[in-house]
Amino acid sequence: MLDWLRFGLGTLLMLGGLFVLVTAVLGQFRFRSALNRIHAAALVDTLGILLMLGGLILLAGWSVVSLKLVLVIAFLWLTSPVSSHLLGKLAVTLTDHPEREMQVDDPSLTRDVKEGD
Amino acid sequence: MAKLRENLPSSRWGRFLRWLREGDDVLDRSMAEALEAPAPAPADALVPLPIPRRLTRTRQRNLTRMEKRLRALYVVTAVLICSGIIALLLVTTAGLPDFGDPDNPANNEVPRHYIEKGLEETGAVNIVAGMILDYRAFDTLGESNVLFVAVCAVIILLRLHSGDPRERLRDEADERSREPGHDIILQVVAALIIPLILLFGVYVILNGHLSPGGGFSGGAVMGAALILFQLAFGERHTARFFTFRTFRIVSVLALGFYASAKAYSFFTGANHLPSFITPGIPGKIFSAGLIPYLNIAVGMVVCCTMYALYSLFRKGDV
Repeated sequence: MLDWLRFGLGTLLMLGGLFVLVTAVLGQFRFRSALNRIHAAALVDTLGILLMLGGLILLAGWSVVSLKLVLVIAFLWLTSPVSSHLLGKLAVTLTDHPEREMQVDDPSLTRDVKEGD
Repeated sequence: MAKLRENLPSSRWGRFLRWLREGDDVLDRSMAEALEAPAPAPADALVPLPIPRRLTRTRQRNLTRMEKRLRALYVVTAVLICSGIIALLLVTTAGLPDFGDPDNPANNEVPRHYIEKGLEETGAVNIVAGMILDYRAFDTLGESNVLFVAVCAVIILLRLHSGDPRERLRDEADERSREPGHDIILQVVAALIIPLILLFGVYVILNGHLSPGGGFSGGAVMGAALILFQLAFGERHTARFFTFRTFRIVSVLALGFYASAKAYSFFTGANHLPSFITPGIPGKIFSAGLIPYLNIAVGMVVCCTMYALYSLFRKGDV
């Protein structure tokens, strides 16, 4: 009974993660500019990773494997937002007129990024 | 029903369908309008980045008829040779023995000996490590040398500033100003994870004879950590512990140690002389004879090579 509960919960988590990641893929193809695409991918993949690996942890049970999966989550949560941040910074640097592609609330902010680097 | 159909375009579902079909969305629409609008006059601060000279330099040359013909001949010959090689490889693949067949010529007494006697003779729990660093250590020395030779070739082809020291200084300052580092987020995260990555690389190398891993994989992990450090903290900080000199000394020492250690063990083994290298107790960290030390040597070479290749391709110097 408990096994079935664990299996169902794990499957539910993984399905949720699948939904979230499919949303990210849809965003990748729907948006036009690089920055909008980063917005879709970077926000979504942390949650997707958490749900997918959380489901795997539940399915694997408490063992060394699940500890390793927790470490994988920690590593990806540390590194993936940073890489998205750097990609976004590069995209802003290389885009001549970011205000034409998206709403820029604070023009000075854009200018700052363009001046640095 | 008709009423429902009339309401569809303005309903949420209808808007969702339309968004899927044509992307009709407030953000998208404003984006499209903004893209079509003429560019606003550039403010002073929005000066576009200067484009490097090599990117703007295009080849402006009128091709003569002869050159055009030669080019067509080149394309045709290339395609012919390529498809010939592909056909040859496919025919050869079709003639290979089946995968996993016990009667394959590869399944002779050699792998059986490795599997049955490997642990006893080499002392390595990881049979693969026992094979590549003991039975076939000569082969692995060749592989490490291939990496070293590859870096040497890249140095010959790509290494810059051998001449005027003043020019070199100016180039380095220029390089520093264009570096993507100095990003505080990247620096904090890199400072957190680089020690962990290095530690993991060391673990993979030192446990090469006990668990999956070894010099090549661990060295690649450590090289990646060095590259990350260079990206995050820039040239000046990396130069404090890794320069071209470091690369030369580490590579040559590691390869020299490998070659001399294996020369000793080959010499004593072939002449049936007593050797002080013993397999030890399998499973202990100090066991398996030379394998851990050879793993360290290979790891050093691979780590330095990874970083040197990256650095050479990035800025033409280590």
